[in-house]
Amino acid sequence: MKFDAVVIGGGKAGCEAASLLLDAGLKVCLVSAGLTMDAESTDPWAAVRAIARRGAVVLRGDTAVSADLKAETVLSVHTECLEEEPLEARLFILATGKYFSRGLLADMERIYEPVFGADVDYIPGRENWYDSDFSAPQPFLGFGVKTDAQGRVLIGGKTMKNLYATGDILAKGAQAASIEAIASEYAGK
Amino acid sequence: MQESNISAGNLEQCLKCNLCTLVCPMMAVNGHYPGPKKAGPDGERYRLKDPQYYDYALKYCLNCKRCEVSCPSGVKIGDIIQSARLRYGGHNLRDWALANTDLVGSLASPFAPLVNGVLGLRPVKTLMHSWMGVDSHRTFPAYSARKFSSWMRKQDQSRFDKFVTFFHGCYVNYNYPQLGKDLVKLVNAAGYGVHLLEKEKCCGVALMSNSMGDRARRQGEINLASMRKAIAAGEDILTVSSTCTFTMRDEYPHVLGLENADVRPHLYLLSKWLYQKMERGEVKLKFRKDLHLKIAYHTACHMQKLGWRNYTLELLRKIPGVELVEMEQQCCGISGTFGFKKENYGYSQAIGGRLFDEIGAARVALGAQSDPGFVVCTECETCKWQIEMSTGVPVMNPVSILAMALE
Repeated sequence: MKFDAVVIGGGKAGCEAASLLLDAGLKVCLVSAGLTMDAESTDPWAAVRAIARRGAVVLRGDTAVSADLKAETVLSVHTECLEEEPLEARLFILATGKYFSRGLLADMERIYEPVFGADVDYIPGRENWYDSDFSAPQPFLGFGVKTDAQGRVLIGGKTMKNLYATGDILAKGAQAASIEAIASEYAGK
Repeated sequence: MQESNISAGNLEQCLKCNLCTLVCPMMAVNGHYPGPKKAGPDGERYRLKDPQYYDYALKYCLNCKRCEVSCPSGVKIGDIIQSARLRYGGHNLRDWALANTDLVGSLASPFAPLVNGVLGLRPVKTLMHSWMGVDSHRTFPAYSARKFSSWMRKQDQSRFDKFVTFFHGCYVNYNYPQLGKDLVKLVNAAGYGVHLLEKEKCCGVALMSNSMGDRARRQGEINLASMRKAIAAGEDILTVSSTCTFTMRDEYPHVLGLENADVRPHLYLLSKWLYQKMERGEVKLKFRKDLHLKIAYHTACHMQKLGWRNYTLELLRKIPGVELVEMEQQCCGISGTFGFKKENYGYSQAIGGRLFDEIGAARVALGAQSDPGFVVCTECETCKWQIEMSTGVPVMNPVSILAMALE
């Protein structure tokens, strides 16, 4: 399936990004693996439904699992339900959040981003991830993906040309993508 | 230290966020149901300790899997509940008769006109309501005098050099052979011949939801063995029902413990298969330009869980002159045999109410109040019965719409 833009993550950041991309007239696919709480609504699907009503293809309950990359460009993303059917696009937005929404996963040795294998800014050594004083600032909450000055995601130290990150998945201090600027750039292409 | 998740259905991953409780259609209308979190991962911890903690209110679970679709932590809530019902649940004679769709179908089919007539009689309905507990509001889908499989065996498919195998399911075989004929028409137009499985049994979904796991497992083994033969001959397996497909792809391994990794990638709904063939340019179909249909698409629960609705929507959009609106993704309330049981009728209609209202509103919005060209489209046969009974709007499988649109 071909789109102008694929947004991965149906939380606040993903929905806001999808909305701005729709404003610019792009054909959008939003992958929303499960719900996120929305303080402004008692209807749990309200945010993604609003995106769907505006003409985006919303994959509810589907999870992005891998990506096809060529040099510094993302070609497509694969999901759990669509399996071999790729979601192809010119632009990809990563908005999968941190640990609760499984945008970042932690095992005993490392913290990683499971879809693209994006570079994660974190302190090695599990003992450095948390402070045993519960109310002290917890270092793991500042970990996240690395981006360049435009909010483009780094993989293996290299800047990806068409993959941007926004929302909670960003490392503390990392630059968020300006979706409005990207949207108008891609709408013009 | 345990370093990774080892629990069945990912129950350890549950963070108790209750998003599943929020989306559960049964929870919204039935105070006796403990809800997916409590019935699923929470209850499982108790049941593992002592089976006497099994709560009979788990029978209210629709197995719609909308809890799993909403879960941010990947917990297989529906699978946990379904597995518990298979392990600890029970059934009565009524449940047995409703669940054995295959057996009852083959008994009823030879006497179809008589059976259809008798089942429609008011006194019979009243008797079945009070004696058997089958709700008198419901009408059983009429049995067909001629089975689809008998018709299919008479069809000459020898002119083709490429084939698919069609898993027709009970509804096509015993009740509505026309849907199977529509699939044959479409697949033939795409340049493929149609074979049947060497042996086909009911997918087992009704057996599973009525706690008859052993029988479902035996039928599943027969289906998988036949499918392996077809796949070895280079054929994909096509279906028309979202529930049969979902059951055989995902419930077989997750709930029945049947290994199907080799079969799963070859098991398609017609719309997924056709979409992919058309996108790759392997199949070209010409659609009529004079088909002025107004379609309200309803996402059946298992279609939602499969995540394949976009294949159907994209195909329908290829038909010129079709106006398509998508209904909000919610349960229609029937859940297979669930809605046929008299104790569930009220819940069933309360759950479906919002969808029925939305279909009515869509009809007005499309300016089709008195338009015979207004239909609801869905891949599930029991949704069809429920929506037709509750709204009076005809419901069509996308396969039939596509076949009708062929030039």
